[in-house]
Amino acid sequence: MNRKIALLLLLLTIISILLTSCYDSHEIDDRAYAIALGFDTGTTNQLKMTLQFAIPSKISAGEGGSSGGGGEGGGSTSITTIESPTLYAGLNVINAYISKQVDLSHCKVVVFSEELARKGIHKYIHAMVRGREFRGNMHVAVSVDTAEDYIRNVSPTLEINPAKYYEMNYDSYKYTGFTGDTRLINFYMLEECSCRQAYATLVGVNKYEKSSQFSNDNSNYKEKGRDYPLEGDFYAGNIPKVYDVKSEVMGIAVFDGGTMVGSFDGEEALFHQMLYGTYEHSYISIPDPEQPNEFVLLNVSQARMPMHHVKMVGDKPYISTGVKLEADILSIQSGINYESIEKMIILESAAEEFLKKGIMHFLEKTKPLHADLCGFGRDLKARYLLWNDWVNVHWLNKYANSQFTVDVELRIRRPGLMIRSAPAKGSKGDVMN
Amino acid sequence: MADADYIKLIKELLLFKEPQKVEKFILKENKRDKEPGEQENSDAINVDAKRKKSKGMHLNKNSESKQDEKQKQESNEHGKKEQKSEISEKLSVNLEYMKRIYSIPQNGDIILREFDIVVKDKVIPAFMLFYDGMVDRKVINDDILQPLMLLSNLDIKGDEKCIAEFVRNHLLPHNQLNEVKDYRKVIDEINFGGCGIFLEGMDSAFAADVKGWEHRGVERPNTEQVIRGPQEGFTEILRVNTALVRKILKDEDLIVENITIGRRSKTPCSMLYIKDITNDSLVNEMRRRLENIKLDYIIDSGELEQLLEESGFSPAPQVIATERPDRVASLLSEGKVAVILNGSPFALVAPATLAGLVHSPEDSYVRYPYANLLRLVRIIGILFSLLLPGVYIAITTFHQEMIPTDLLFAIEASREKVPFPSLVELLIMEIMFELIREAGIRIPGPIGPTLGIIGALILGQAAVSANIVSPILIIVVAVTGIGSFAVPNFSLGLTFRILRFAYIFLGAMSGFLGITVGLFIQGIFFTSSKSFGVPITVPFGPKTTRVWGGNELIRSPIWKQERRSDYLNTKDEAKQPNISRKWAEQDEGSGNNEE
Amino acid sequence: MKNKITFGRFEATCITITLLSTQLFLNLPRIMMEAAWTAAWILTVYISLLALVLFTIIFKLYKRFEGKDLLDLGEHIGGSIGRIIVGVIVLFFLLYIAPVILREFSENIKIIALPQSPLSFVMIFFVAGMIAASYLGIEAIVRFSAIIVPIIIAGYLLIIAGSIQYTDISRITPWLGSGPYEIFVKGIPRISVFAGIILIYLLFPFIRTYRNFKTVGYASIGLSGFFLIIGVLVFSLVYQYPTGTESFLPVYQLARLIDYGRFFQRVESIFVIVWVASALLHLTTLLFLIVYVFKKTFKLEFYKPLIIPFSIVVYTLSFFPHNLISAIELEKSFRNLAWIISFLLPIVLLVIARFIKKNPKKEAGNA
Repeated sequence: MNRKIALLLLLLTIISILLTSCYDSHEIDDRAYAIALGFDTGTTNQLKMTLQFAIPSKISAGEGGSSGGGGEGGGSTSITTIESPTLYAGLNVINAYISKQVDLSHCKVVVFSEELARKGIHKYIHAMVRGREFRGNMHVAVSVDTAEDYIRNVSPTLEINPAKYYEMNYDSYKYTGFTGDTRLINFYMLEECSCRQAYATLVGVNKYEKSSQFSNDNSNYKEKGRDYPLEGDFYAGNIPKVYDVKSEVMGIAVFDGGTMVGSFDGEEALFHQMLYGTYEHSYISIPDPEQPNEFVLLNVSQARMPMHHVKMVGDKPYISTGVKLEADILSIQSGINYESIEKMIILESAAEEFLKKGIMHFLEKTKPLHADLCGFGRDLKARYLLWNDWVNVHWLNKYANSQFTVDVELRIRRPGLMIRSAPAKGSKGDVMN
Repeated sequence: MADADYIKLIKELLLFKEPQKVEKFILKENKRDKEPGEQENSDAINVDAKRKKSKGMHLNKNSESKQDEKQKQESNEHGKKEQKSEISEKLSVNLEYMKRIYSIPQNGDIILREFDIVVKDKVIPAFMLFYDGMVDRKVINDDILQPLMLLSNLDIKGDEKCIAEFVRNHLLPHNQLNEVKDYRKVIDEINFGGCGIFLEGMDSAFAADVKGWEHRGVERPNTEQVIRGPQEGFTEILRVNTALVRKILKDEDLIVENITIGRRSKTPCSMLYIKDITNDSLVNEMRRRLENIKLDYIIDSGELEQLLEESGFSPAPQVIATERPDRVASLLSEGKVAVILNGSPFALVAPATLAGLVHSPEDSYVRYPYANLLRLVRIIGILFSLLLPGVYIAITTFHQEMIPTDLLFAIEASREKVPFPSLVELLIMEIMFELIREAGIRIPGPIGPTLGIIGALILGQAAVSANIVSPILIIVVAVTGIGSFAVPNFSLGLTFRILRFAYIFLGAMSGFLGITVGLFIQGIFFTSSKSFGVPITVPFGPKTTRVWGGNELIRSPIWKQERRSDYLNTKDEAKQPNISRKWAEQDEGSGNNEE
Repeated sequence: MKNKITFGRFEATCITITLLSTQLFLNLPRIMMEAAWTAAWILTVYISLLALVLFTIIFKLYKRFEGKDLLDLGEHIGGSIGRIIVGVIVLFFLLYIAPVILREFSENIKIIALPQSPLSFVMIFFVAGMIAASYLGIEAIVRFSAIIVPIIIAGYLLIIAGSIQYTDISRITPWLGSGPYEIFVKGIPRISVFAGIILIYLLFPFIRTYRNFKTVGYASIGLSGFFLIIGVLVFSLVYQYPTGTESFLPVYQLARLIDYGRFFQRVESIFVIVWVASALLHLTTLLFLIVYVFKKTFKLEFYKPLIIPFSIVVYTLSFFPHNLISAIELEKSFRNLAWIISFLLPIVLLVIARFIKKNPKKEAGNA
């Protein structure tokens, strides 16, 4: 009996030596990990793919060395661009000249150029959902220029690992509100949803070399009836900034059935988040109600989920939404005592008016794009019992005829560390601001 | 003359010297093996022994040198013809017989003392036989020789007619004295540190127990050290050990049964159990197994453990070996059976369960939240020692998408320079670690532990600098090793040390699939193995009551452990009444008022 | 293997839950969604209740035949021929489903974790586990499942809990999905989901008492129904109607979503462990049942020599379908008819057995 067991074990050992690492096991350092993927329309072929690889030895070596990592930071990634008919054909060609096999399981972001997005990206999204290597928490972005430009300009200086840069940058919507949750899984489900439309992060490459070159030409503050742009009135690529990393993130791109139809700037993205319910908190500047040239700065966060109500009258939907927010006072430039109970009401209603105006402007802009971004259709869908009935409503089509009523409720909770502003005393008397 | 020495020296160095013809020593075959009659006999014994589950029996094929061979032949032939049993009345016959049996004067340490006794004005010759070094000389002098030789002169009032009775009743003030009629019994007593006293005219002999050999005193236990709790450990003497247990359980129902194991070594062994708690069938089964072990000699309870267990191939040990009397006492009071072997400081307690292998003796002495946390740490240690290298290999070669991106790049950067694949690297480090461990046991004195640590550190560091292994692997191997030290039960730790290599191969073959299949098969093996009729995965396996109460995996507070474990089917279930802290009750006497 | 072996209620419940719920890891949510669209969970609730009702009928009929399994009933009705017929039917039933499930699980593992390995290599692991466990006997299997099934359930509930952040109640509206006719009338054959209940009919001699049988049956159907319902429900809540029918491995897709912060992501490889353990238990039980039914039908004395041949048979049969889609189609056609064997056959046998007079000679030969 013991001999039999010994023989069996021997046999198994021999067999397993033959089987070991034959098939699927591959060493970590035999793979090249791509962290960003870009698609453009190709000049000589269908598709132009850009892949950004991380170089791990430079990443961990960089921990000791490069403190002056301004120009050096790009050394931790390597970027390649090729033209090919399809996604996997491109991967094949890249595998041919890169020494290690490409592994996409750590890809953080996929960027489409605006040109390609306007032609339709549903087929690419499907390819990515089908493959097991693509993760659901990959971000989908649309670049105002080309994807290649955007990726080539990503050379992060605050972190050594560029993957971390992507992860953190695209999560910034949680505290700035200027984009949204655009992970692949969300995008994919929203694309196929019958009651909502999908959106992607808008990215771009900044053109300014020096701060003296700043200009407001591409901002849409004039359409909103303002005299100067507020912080969110820019699209990606036009932010007045100068920084080591030229790539930037601001705004969202809207899709209708897999084809890009329009883009919204940072402030509109913030309103979209408020209406959708994923808004967390950010800083908003409200014009001072009593002193029109000054601002009151608030830290606004979402108090409750927004309420939607849809009523179909014939073919026209009547949509009413209610947004509940709460805010902390960050700064009162005019020095007026808004912290007191009487004045707080004035501030609150001024803030509510301001936000309401912005939201109406945003919603009106979505109508011609058939972009039901905030999911008003959800409420309507719950009223039908059978799926076929719902499908016959053709909600996304009818959205263009909607009438909106918006109700914003904002409560100021805390005034920060100061409960009253005292003036500065100078030779000319009191100075409040 | 010094010149002659120098010349001799130079000659030796320069000239060739013929080698001397020295006959080298060869072990010759035993002549007895060639006789067919003998062969059958030994075969019969062989088969018999195998049927009775004894292992490692030494057959008669031991070769001896020529001289011993002849003598043994002679004496055996003699013995086969003349094996006396009854002690004769004539002293000379006894003397002759004992001299032959003990091979006096060849046997150097046996002492034969002849003396005379005067009993009622009659001079009776006598002799005494004992092994030097095994007896307490003072006791022999004071309690046997002195009374017999000197005090017999006193006028003692007694009216026994028989000399033997008279001597036993009045002249031998020794506390453990037997009068025996068989040679065999005297010989057995002498062999184990007694002395045999033969008198002329008596057809019986006295066998006195005067054991007094050098032995280790009661010290701290070497393996199971605790901070809180008694610091006594078993020694090698059977009676000392049973006394240590009995002084904790001062229970007249604690039965210590004597059984002798081993044909030649005749090692005494004791089986302990509490009569009105332990299940009878368990006691009978243990007794049946102990009595039916047939082999020549047995030295340590480790061998006894292997002889008692049902399956040596099972991954889990089936008896618990412990060095602490307090642990044996607490297990006995749970309803288990203990076996103590003379010459071994480890007692065996059966039946063993998987949950019991995670217990440490300190768990009972420490407050229960800490005991449970420490148990959790131990379980994590056990899991690490078994699975960590395999899981590491599986993740880094099959499931890279599981690793967070930062860690992935760190691992990849450190592996760039290593020329070996992960599996080979891991095996190198594991084998080195095992080598250090084995070597560390044999390094003498104070250098031992230091060298182990230094060796591990320096080797590891040097290996990393030489780019043979990557730093993460060192951490994995070190944590695995530390985890294996956290296992409270030594046998289980050994088992897992070996099984982890199987998991390394499974993980390298097919990632988590292989590891899960390995865990599945090992789990099935665990659940199908039994220890003395009790499945070892109780109380999770067959789900008995009180999985989470009691003391199985999670230890409940001591005042809540009211009933004994269900799987032992004890006669008496209740250990404590419902409220064991009667002081906590209010004076009104209204129900449970425990804090 | 004489009837000295008894199972406790907990153990028998655990092993039945394994047989009933493992298909949750395979295809079930998607199939429910294909049938009832957004009302998939309603369909699941409906068939669970239906299964409970049918089980009540069966166990009430079983009252007079305590301790007899289906083969004993066959023998009671028609002697040896009856037993052999029933045995062969059950054998074909089991031999149909076991290779299909083996193939599906291996293909799943290939897609998830080991894309390049040959299929036979992956299947060898499962088959090795099946053989080793079957050799050690039903007691070990059942005891082991009593330990493992709570862990598997805990892992499964963790997946569900981790996906809650993605749920959106609007995804299961419109409430009735494809319509009441589709759900309630065409959904009746879908009680084949609970076809594994045949296990407790076959293991009745081990469960012994009638009261235990009742508890085990209700508990296992109830608990499995609960897990199936919340699985289908959460899957529908996370993946809306048309999208959910695209996904091949529903619960795996749920596990992929788990994402708490930058660190706790991508843990679905850990759920591969839960998966494989559940698959191994399921397949081991099926193999053991095949061997045991074979032994009992033909009144053989030992079952251990049968294990290796039958495992080779199952292994070979699992290569029959050309690709994964045909394997899924085979399972679908199985599920269309399995309810006949799991629910109708016992009812028919029991009803017939009632009307046959009790023959004392036959009674003695049964136990």
